[in-house]
Amino acid sequence: MLPLEHLQTTMARSVLAMEPTIGSKLLIAGKADPLARLRIYQNNTRSSLTAVLMAVFPVTVRLVDERFFRFAASEFIRRHPPVESRLARYGAGFPRFLKSIDTLSDMPIVAETARLEWAIAEALDIASLPPCSLADHENSDPSASPEILVQPSLRLIVSHWSILSVWSAHQQGAAADRHSAWPRRAERVALWRAGDNIRLIDLDRANLAFLHSLKHGFGLEHAAGRALALDPAFDLVSALVRLFGDGLVADVRNIANSPKNSWRQS
Amino acid sequence: MPNMFSPLTIPASAGIGLRSPHIAEMLTRRPSAGWLEVHAENYMGDGAGVQALETLRQTYPLSVHGVGLSLGSAQGLDRDHLERLRKICLRFEPDLVSEHLAWSVADGAYLNDLLPLRYDEEALAIVARNVEMVQDTLKRRVLIENLSAYLAFTDSSMNEAEFLAALVARTGCGLLLDVNNVQVSAHNLQYDAKAFIDALPAEAIGEIHLAGHATNQVGTDTVLIDDHGSRVPPVVWALYQHAIDRLGPRPTLIEWDTDVPVLDVLLGEAMWADMLTASIMFSRKQAARRAQTTAAEATPIRLSVEAETTTSMPVLAAFAAARAAKPSISLARPSLEEKYHAAA
Repeated sequence: MLPLEHLQTTMARSVLAMEPTIGSKLLIAGKADPLARLRIYQNNTRSSLTAVLMAVFPVTVRLVDERFFRFAASEFIRRHPPVESRLARYGAGFPRFLKSIDTLSDMPIVAETARLEWAIAEALDIASLPPCSLADHENSDPSASPEILVQPSLRLIVSHWSILSVWSAHQQGAAADRHSAWPRRAERVALWRAGDNIRLIDLDRANLAFLHSLKHGFGLEHAAGRALALDPAFDLVSALVRLFGDGLVADVRNIANSPKNSWRQS
Repeated sequence: MPNMFSPLTIPASAGIGLRSPHIAEMLTRRPSAGWLEVHAENYMGDGAGVQALETLRQTYPLSVHGVGLSLGSAQGLDRDHLERLRKICLRFEPDLVSEHLAWSVADGAYLNDLLPLRYDEEALAIVARNVEMVQDTLKRRVLIENLSAYLAFTDSSMNEAEFLAALVARTGCGLLLDVNNVQVSAHNLQYDAKAFIDALPAEAIGEIHLAGHATNQVGTDTVLIDDHGSRVPPVVWALYQHAIDRLGPRPTLIEWDTDVPVLDVLLGEAMWADMLTASIMFSRKQAARRAQTTAAEATPIRLSVEAETTTSMPVLAAFAAARAAKPSISLARPSLEEKYHAAA
């Protein structure tokens, strides 16, 4: 008799491989064929995980047609099954997998759009903190250096393709043409969770660098420096007003100018 | 950080599984629902649903139902996942916590389905060890749910009910009796559903699940699929009646996971469960009174008309009893059955 761990490994492989590698003599199902019953588990695993991927990548589904998506998802599930039961984390590798599919080699925008959708899924599972307003900090110490903490759900994506335009065209109410050729145009997208919703904006290079620095905790001075290096016309005041206005500021900490702080900016 | 909710005890009445399409309506309407149950894995992140649940938890008693702990995995538990479950219990302070007698993790993969165990001493030692670890970590008793199965293992040395009874004796855990799962497994594996329920230690059963299932025909094989995608069917109501008759009232959950209908349908099913329980308890009380009356016949006391009126069966409870008895009722009056259905 197989040890239980060996039996479960064999059965798991049978369920994922979509072909019975487990001996039928080990199984029983009343008067029914046990291998036919094993297919129920195979179908359950494949269909439920495909449903998870379809929920995370709805625009990608529409870009490639549902039947093709189901085929791709099925292959992905077989080769890269979830490693944990938190299914909110399942699908991170799907955009890269789509990129590797030969059939999609002349449609790189599919995998890129999937990348955007994965970022949305990630942001939806992260806290949306109450946003700070500029008025909250009117009386802050002018000698201190304010450090901005942005919403933890903020995600930044750079693509050579117009992914935000594609994604927006497929939202409810938009008249999307699946067959239209999407131009190769770089888009830099910032997205974050605001309550029950996701907000997405298209950024220029300077604003992307600005947000990138803030997101990674490099500090406001570093962020402004990076943005100005890319665009001498970068307007820090406008950027800050927009940052607060968009609800992207989760906290502002006033840090006294001290040697302790200076190392972070070096 | 714990939220310090006031403790809300789950009553021995019906509740509903909280599903995302209903969250907004639950928040605005706050309908009368005995209690709520959530899938633990849906609240392990920090999305909008988590904040909503914190709000609902202030009003409704809560049960946390895990689907991904894989208590039957021979490779042992995922400690990270158990820690996440511990944090959920800390955060929401549920009155009940439950998981399944099943495995879903092996060979480094999570299969997103609940697979059956080979019921033998080796598996019992493994599951008992895992359940003890969960109870030690959560510092509470957990309820273990029977499985809906499509196949079994030839080398099992006991049946699922015997396995569950032994698990209760070994770990002190409680049981979650899923009546729909009993029906699905009993049909698929050809055993007696009522005998399964009767073989479980009654005092350990802390919760009951009710749901619908699908019927698939594959060649000559009629297989019941546990899809939680329809109303509780008459055969499951009848089995529920049998369970309540034996156990008395228990917290009872209406589960619905696929093709989720409007909230009122779930609330209606919950109402039927309550009515059916009420009718069973009423019948039991009546029977006890009759017995008492018979015993006291030497000095008969005539009940007044008013007294008789107050002990009549509630109309809805009678409806529920009739509905549950449907399989055994002659099909001679289909129009009446239609009316019952429409009333649900």
